[in-house]
Amino acid sequence: MSSSATVFVPGDAPAHGHEGHHGHHPHQGFFFTYIWSTDHKMIGLQYLWTSFVFLLLGGLLAMGIRFQLAYPGATVPLIGALLPSTVAADGVILPGGYNMLFTMHATVMVFLVVMPLLIGGFGNYLIPLKIGAGDMAFPTLNAMSYWLYVLSGIIILASFFVDGGAASSGWTAYAPLSSTAAYNNNTQIGQSLWCVGLFVNGLSSIAGATNYITTIINMRAPGMTMFRLPLSVWALFITAWLLILAVPVLSAAAAMLFTDLNFHTTFFAALGGQPLLWQHLFWFFGHPEVYIMILPAMGLVSEILPVFARKPIFGYKAMVWAMVAIGFLGFIVWGHHMFVSGMNLTLGAAFSVSTMIIAVPSAIKTFNWMGTVWRGSITFTTPMLFALGFVSMFVIGGLSGIFMAATPVDLFVHNSYFIVAHIHYVLFGGSLFGAFAAIYFWYPKMFGRMMNETWGKIHFFATFIFFNLTFFPMHNLGLGGMMRRIADPTVYEHLRALQPMNVFVSWAAFGMGLATFIFLWNFIWSLRHGKPAGKNPWDSTTLEWTVPSPPGHGNFDRTPNVFNGPYEYSVPGMEKDFLPQDEKAPEGARLEVH
Amino acid sequence: MSTAALTSHDATSAHASQRTAVFGMTIFLASEAMLFAGLIAGYLVLRLSSPAWPPSPDLPHLPIFLTGINTVFLISSSLTYHAAEVAVKKGRGGLIWLLITVLLGSLFLGIQAYEWTHLYHEGLWFNKGGAYGSTFFVLTGFHGLHVFLGVMMILFAFLRQLGGAYTAESHTYLVLAGMYWHFVDVVWLFLYTVLYLI
Repeated sequence: MSSSATVFVPGDAPAHGHEGHHGHHPHQGFFFTYIWSTDHKMIGLQYLWTSFVFLLLGGLLAMGIRFQLAYPGATVPLIGALLPSTVAADGVILPGGYNMLFTMHATVMVFLVVMPLLIGGFGNYLIPLKIGAGDMAFPTLNAMSYWLYVLSGIIILASFFVDGGAASSGWTAYAPLSSTAAYNNNTQIGQSLWCVGLFVNGLSSIAGATNYITTIINMRAPGMTMFRLPLSVWALFITAWLLILAVPVLSAAAAMLFTDLNFHTTFFAALGGQPLLWQHLFWFFGHPEVYIMILPAMGLVSEILPVFARKPIFGYKAMVWAMVAIGFLGFIVWGHHMFVSGMNLTLGAAFSVSTMIIAVPSAIKTFNWMGTVWRGSITFTTPMLFALGFVSMFVIGGLSGIFMAATPVDLFVHNSYFIVAHIHYVLFGGSLFGAFAAIYFWYPKMFGRMMNETWGKIHFFATFIFFNLTFFPMHNLGLGGMMRRIADPTVYEHLRALQPMNVFVSWAAFGMGLATFIFLWNFIWSLRHGKPAGKNPWDSTTLEWTVPSPPGHGNFDRTPNVFNGPYEYSVPGMEKDFLPQDEKAPEGARLEVH
Repeated sequence: MSTAALTSHDATSAHASQRTAVFGMTIFLASEAMLFAGLIAGYLVLRLSSPAWPPSPDLPHLPIFLTGINTVFLISSSLTYHAAEVAVKKGRGGLIWLLITVLLGSLFLGIQAYEWTHLYHEGLWFNKGGAYGSTFFVLTGFHGLHVFLGVMMILFAFLRQLGGAYTAESHTYLVLAGMYWHFVDVVWLFLYTVLYLI
């Protein structure tokens, strides 16, 4: 096991046994292996590691937010002195600095953590492996996509240190607050960098999405029909289309905002422009963006539930069409973010109805997940726990979404902590729980070793409990009248009675932050000390489990032939309880999908 | 594992890899189309919500005639580029057609630059003339950047073709640059229509 102590080079000797004669690609040196790699697996891992760094930064920003809300005016312990002068003075968070914290927390989490982790990380790592291809269609474009993402992260974070500080108009950057620097503490440079950062980030997303669609359409192994694709691949395929069609509109809006700030154009100016135009353009992107972040998690979870229930996914085609429907409907509901903007309320009613229609495909998915685990022989491994956590938290977040789709309710809860609770139930309880499930599930494939189960379960329960203690009370805070984006709740008479709840939420959030370190420790510890995984530790059916862990350069010794659908578990008439996609079914086996 | 195994099914021939590249370029152009759709939608919202257009009577009108000529130049450049592609597919160099395309593209940019200066002196600029100036300069500016990029791509093709880089069998780059160039021309037809004509 001498190689186990080293880092994992694709194609290098794996940390365990000698299954298969996988490739030793010519030694390419440090630069081409780790920095400018064009291997989809290495790019996937680059995305994964980088998004972990941003996850920590974004999490720290959240801790800052919660500290301020619990103890406004107090000195931030430990790191207070290190905060940039734009955020804090003598370790005390400034009101303008608080605005930067929540703006950048959301920007970092959406654009630098959840999207790159789910789409960049798992998309790159899994798509070619799952469809039986050697790499992506355009490997160089793929590497470029990763480095554009890094560049966008640097641009966005650098804005903390420029004159005036980082963008502080919220991640939604509503005009004219964002477009007229004088209205917003003169954060002109920071807001401009925010625009440039998102533009570069958008280029990265578009490059990646172009690659995914082309790869999935053109490079599937023989026999891998579209309806034999694993649901994660379907989810990433639909997500890629949403990226292609939605992200450029944000780029256009960011460009207009940039010229408003720097060339004094009047796109979004109150005089001679249309502040509401920003909201329309932003949410035309922003609502599909919500599905861009949840669909990949839905796909990944749909892979995990059947494995640990030992049952085929319930309603494969319904799952696919439900995602297509969600993707399509996502483009015609953006107005539900704008009920209080002064828009025409008849139009609002139309948006209200189209939004509620999304409940139908979402419910199809939820019931199918429940149908999948129903009466299965379930093993509660860490990935399964996180997958079940995903489903349950998504249900809560989905249901509170219906509240907001109803215009009369939304008029009351809009811009309150109810919204903050909802968004975190779908984005953390949904997307991030899905990401954690996927990390525990595919870690053995990526690194050849299992993550520690005990610490994994501790991480799950700590995160699950602290998550609910953090975000559930936010519903109550919101209904109690607490507004979003206020630096000091104690200055409002009507919120003073709620302050103990704010303190409680903050401590729960600190607990959740600490739980993340259990995860990171487990992740790093298991690189060296995890149990060797072997090819297929979970007895799973999809193609990535037919190659060594980690797979060699080029993935497959010879192009696999695909004979079955992706979820043949507990097939009646078979001795083994699962049938890999590249194995012909034995005589008498009754398959789920043909 | 030999490197041949890596590409056994994804690029058995130059033809297959060109098909893949064309497919990818199409997807990319779909996103480019959405970028311009966003810009044009913003323009239409601002224009339709303004009581008059141009918003004030002393603002200059856009030069329909001069830009009409310029539009003809740009559309011709699509035809000359096509001629270059046809020449290469027939095994000839197509150098002269590539050069003419570069010149026509540059001419378009030159006339645009002249028009910008002209309008600037008449009191229209990014920050002058309200949404009228903002939309005109940002939309034509974005398109101009695309034309500039296209000219650079075709100039690059021309320089490589001096050394005979593209043959009848292998000219994927020319096909992709052509798709981009035709796309930029089509976008201009939309922009000319909404900004100048209506």
